Amino acid sequence: MASIASARIKREFREVVTSDELTRCKIKLELLNDNFTELKGEIGGPPDTAYEGGTFQLEIKIPETYPFNPPKVRFLTKIWHPNISSVTGAICLDILKDQWAAAMTLRTVLLSLQALLATPEPDDPQDAVVANQYKSNNKIFLKTARHWTNVYAGSTSAAEPEFDSQVKKLVDMGFDSHKSRVALSSHLWNVEQAIESLYD
Amino acid sequence: MGYDLNRFEGVVDEELICSICSFVLEDPVQSPECEHAFCDSCIKQWLHHQCICPIDRIQIQPSDLKPVPRILKNLLSKLKLKCDYADYGCMAILRLENLNIHLQECEFNPKKPIVCTLGCNIVIPKDELKNHNCIKELKKIVDDHQSKITSLTSELNRQKYELELNFKELRSLKNFVSKYIKSNQLASNMVSASPTSPTSNLLGLNLTDDDDDDIARWSATLPIAKVIRWGGIISTPDTVLQTVIKRALIEHGCPASILNQLMENAHEKNWPLGLSTLENRQINRSQYANFVCKRVPNKQAVLILACDNRHMPSHMIVEPGNLLIFAHGVE
Repeated sequence: MASIASARIKREFREVVTSDELTRCKIKLELLNDNFTELKGEIGGPPDTAYEGGTFQLEIKIPETYPFNPPKVRFLTKIWHPNISSVTGAICLDILKDQWAAAMTLRTVLLSLQALLATPEPDDPQDAVVANQYKSNNKIFLKTARHWTNVYAGSTSAAEPEFDSQVKKLVDMGFDSHKSRVALSSHLWNVEQAIESLYD
Repeated sequence: MGYDLNRFEGVVDEELICSICSFVLEDPVQSPECEHAFCDSCIKQWLHHQCICPIDRIQIQPSDLKPVPRILKNLLSKLKLKCDYADYGCMAILRLENLNIHLQECEFNPKKPIVCTLGCNIVIPKDELKNHNCIKELKKIVDDHQSKITSLTSELNRQKYELELNFKELRSLKNFVSKYIKSNQLASNMVSASPTSPTSNLLGLNLTDDDDDDIARWSATLPIAKVIRWGGIISTPDTVLQTVIKRALIEHGCPASILNQLMENAHEKNWPLGLSTLENRQINRSQYANFVCKRVPNKQAVLILACDNRHMPSHMIVEPGNLLIFAHGVE
């Protein structure tokens, strides 16, 4: 790996680990190998959002050309968000693409992702189904997002017990629980439509 | 890419750090509008990707970059840091402004060029001295030279061959031109009975085929000479000697057209290239045996006539022939 990339990551890692933001903003960084090419990030769901209380894990891969090219980041934790794929965790965020600038750091990336959770951009979606729901049925979107946060990101606040029982209904029919949850979330928690889509 | 922060004494101000490489600024430049400073190499590499300031995205072109203010340069130059070769044992702590001068001299630089004192005098990086072998290095140089000599020699031979061909071509052209002039003269003589035209002399063509035939006929009348001691040649014969030889030539029927030229060619300065210097004579010594030499009767002198020696390389003969006067050694 180019020495400039590993030197930067070393410094950025230290910057995140030693800053008080660790506790204040709930951001974390963990090294996965000794040559600074792979890291695991963690951000807390921002307060007063559907993601509050959740902890979201991120896969971070540093290209050899870093910081001249952005790091490759995706969500490992499943999340219901217009700009994040509910299937792959891929993120649609300009600074991770053409709006990257060499002075940005892993810290600014993590903070930007936190900001993205607080203010989705439904007009520049990664997941069209979620973005559509966000715009046309925001109430259900918020409940669904909260439910996903509860199930996948470990939040204990505001569970949606009726969603749980609907998922259980499908699981009892023999469907996989995650697939059932995706089907229900994508069909405004309409059980019949969800079952239909699972049979397709 | 800048200087590693770990090398510096104390805390380095955040303002002196390049936000691209996260090291202390090296050869800093700044963007004209927002005045953000970066290492020269870092910002140029970034502008290769995108022409915006990496901090606030203001448009910049590489040509817009400006030197940083004196105060920033001064702050940088006062920073104290460890030598690049601290890991090799250099304990020096230097001001950044003195670093480059120190690096050139630093004894701990493993790549510092030093002269081998074991005999070969070759300049080598210090860390290679341990495994350095004078004979091996010198052999490499000798081999190098040898291959150069080989290629130059083959080039020289090629050039010689070409020169030879050119000489032959020139000779046949000369013959052709002189025949042409002669036939014209004959024709005009028949009409106007005018004396010889000066044209042939103007062209330096005092040799014609007829002359050649004359020379060949005359040569046939002369005895073959055997030179016992080539070292006996007189390179600058005096006037008396020349007069004696000249008289002998006339006596024995030397064609008048070549007499003076032959006499002039008795002097070293008119000898062919192959005999012109002592060095050349030594190089070409082995070819002497191939000369067809004719004796100037009763004299210690031989004629190496061009018409008898066409088999010799062109640098060994002159037109119409070479008169060599000896002190002794001719039979």
